[in-house]
Amino acid sequence: MESTIQEPFDLIRLSLSERVFVKLRGDRELTGILHAYDGHMNLIMSDVEERIMLVEGIDVGPPGQGATVKVATRKMDMLFVRGDGVILVSPPSRT
Amino acid sequence: MDDTTPPPPPEEQAPPPPPPATHTGSPTDFLKGVVGKRVIVRLTSGVDYRGVLSCLDGYMNIALEQTEEHVNGIVTNRYGDAFIRGNNVLYISAAEVI
Repeated sequence: MESTIQEPFDLIRLSLSERVFVKLRGDRELTGILHAYDGHMNLIMSDVEERIMLVEGIDVGPPGQGATVKVATRKMDMLFVRGDGVILVSPPSRT
Repeated sequence: MDDTTPPPPPEEQAPPPPPPATHTGSPTDFLKGVVGKRVIVRLTSGVDYRGVLSCLDGYMNIALEQTEEHVNGIVTNRYGDAFIRGNNVLYISAAEVI
């Protein structure tokens, strides 16, 4: 597989039409089918589920007990992702 | 000052110069040397990614294999392959001899 990847974008190119995991700024994650991308890592995805990690009560209560992480999810049929929000893209494992 | 060499510093006080590093060269030479090796990529957010560096480009976009995501020293995710957008990268550290 290494021979097919000469530059990082090859990893994305090989993931077109596949379900990918995308980590975004602001503690957000997406999984969805990748339809298109460009050099900014702008993405077009479909059948997307977004997971938003919300930390609540970080400064209340005794230490180690106050903070809880709540995960909000939502689904979108079609989504344009602006590239500057992208941290990481992981294709489906090819193991 | 240009045509006279300055006298050598006093030897009895100056510490010996450090031995030359095994790998010297430009940052580009370093990056060429770590491709295919295990690396630690730290993002500006403080999250670490440990894996084998497949390749990288001029934006410092990175493709990693066998990637582990570490947050505060705890493994929080594993990815077979991972593309990291270069603007998030703080440093790339060699995790084995290069």
